[in-house]
Amino acid sequence: MLSIAASELIQIFRNRLVLVTSLIIPVAVCLFFVRQHETFADIGSLGYIAAVVMFTIAAFGLYATAVTTLASRRQNLFLKRLRSTAASDTGILAGLLLPVTVIAVVQVTAILIALAVVAGKPANIALLVVATVATLAMMIGLALATAGLTNSPEHAQVTTLPVTLGVIFVATWVGITGTADLAWLKRLLPGGAATELTMNAWNGGVAVTESLALLAPTLAWVAIAVALANRLFRWEPRR
Amino acid sequence: MSTTPVIEVDRLNLTYGDFHAVRDLSFEVRPGELYALLGTNGAGKTSTLEVIEGHRGPTSGTVRVFGNSPRDRRAVRPRMGVMLQESGFSPDLTVRESVRLIGRLSGRTDDVDRVLDIVDLTDRAGRRVSQLSGGEKRRLDFATAVYGTPELIFLDEPTTGLDIQTRDAVWATVDRLRENGATIVLTTHYLEEAQQRADRIGLMHQGTLHREGTVAELTRTLPAVIRFSLPAPAPALPLQAAVDADGKVVVETFGLQKDLHLLLGWAQDHAIELQGLEAGPTRLDDVFRAISS
Repeated sequence: MLSIAASELIQIFRNRLVLVTSLIIPVAVCLFFVRQHETFADIGSLGYIAAVVMFTIAAFGLYATAVTTLASRRQNLFLKRLRSTAASDTGILAGLLLPVTVIAVVQVTAILIALAVVAGKPANIALLVVATVATLAMMIGLALATAGLTNSPEHAQVTTLPVTLGVIFVATWVGITGTADLAWLKRLLPGGAATELTMNAWNGGVAVTESLALLAPTLAWVAIAVALANRLFRWEPRR
Repeated sequence: MSTTPVIEVDRLNLTYGDFHAVRDLSFEVRPGELYALLGTNGAGKTSTLEVIEGHRGPTSGTVRVFGNSPRDRRAVRPRMGVMLQESGFSPDLTVRESVRLIGRLSGRTDDVDRVLDIVDLTDRAGRRVSQLSGGEKRRLDFATAVYGTPELIFLDEPTTGLDIQTRDAVWATVDRLRENGATIVLTTHYLEEAQQRADRIGLMHQGTLHREGTVAELTRTLPAVIRFSLPAPAPALPLQAAVDADGKVVVETFGLQKDLHLLLGWAQDHAIELQGLEAGPTRLDDVFRAISS
């Protein structure tokens, strides 16, 4: 698994398009949010900025890159090649997704630290970590499912739009309007509960037990995404 | 050496929707032999290989490789090398990185430079796969298949697109592996390769094993052929003959030596030159033509 991950990391750094779309653009967007944190804190709260930053990295950096990578590795039969070795399917997928996941974790951590430095520390760091892990897990699951519907890296530009735009919309909606009304709908939409959890972790003022209940919808999305991936994921291109 | 088959295929069936790609196929590959699986396009060779290599599950029937399910990668893959028909290397990795990665994942150990040397890619080691020619990609593929000297090697059209020198080098490597006891499963469109090298041949047609045996066994059932051109006018031939599309006289015979002797004697007596004279046993090509017609 680690040798697959190492080769994947090399490939990411050699492919400028992936480097720009997965590393640089999301970070640039996040830095804008951090720089303008006073404006955005007025619109929502600091927790809203944390949630938007996290979802920007998770959607564009992690999810879209993972879908593109998997589609590309399938299209040029690299997946089939890996499957003709002794590596297991889980090991292959883990190896392919490890580098983008690690990069996303590093990015989210760095930007949230930057936010904490300019705007003050979050109320509950442990809860923030839990929210981040749950969000990234959900996006990886959705990436595996989406990859099954994506024929080529070019096709990924279309197939990833519903989820990327969807979660950013949900995070913004929940982040700005809160969950005072339409709470059930907002929490059930993918990313809604994770956004609320992130805001609670950053802003504080909500009991931890109450916040942890918000993990349930996110984990349910992980389960749904994994079940979909099991049905949809393909290792070889259609002939 | 053990005589337990390396590969056992028993009543294998494979269907895609309504299409029955492989029907009740049974055969064995024994240790140390070179078994050529040949067939017309769409005969089911690739589907069969994909099941044996573990890329696909059978619809029914069983396939065992070294006595294990081919899908048990951990048990089977370290002992077998696969040269795929289509490359499947990442264009952004170099030749050396590709061999190291796939080699390491095979579960065998070897020296990357040694393997690159075998396929004459040493001077391409630092190049990206995207910059390789088609023939160089085939060689890279072969390198990953023979990495760590596996006991069983699948060669799916190994020499397609290779120049003569490289083709000879590939076969020289295969011969060395065979001296060490390796078992080879080959598919090829170059029938002379199979004719020269295969211990046994399985001829697939429409999803079944149409014929199986040594080259001699397969060609024995068809007559040998004598071909030549006659200057016109010529006296009547001493044996039954036909004229082919190119105007050549074609004699089909099960008694090649006797009929050839008769013909040469007749030509000598009549002072006739048999232009472009060829005589020989049936070639594998003819066996192929016989099943597809």
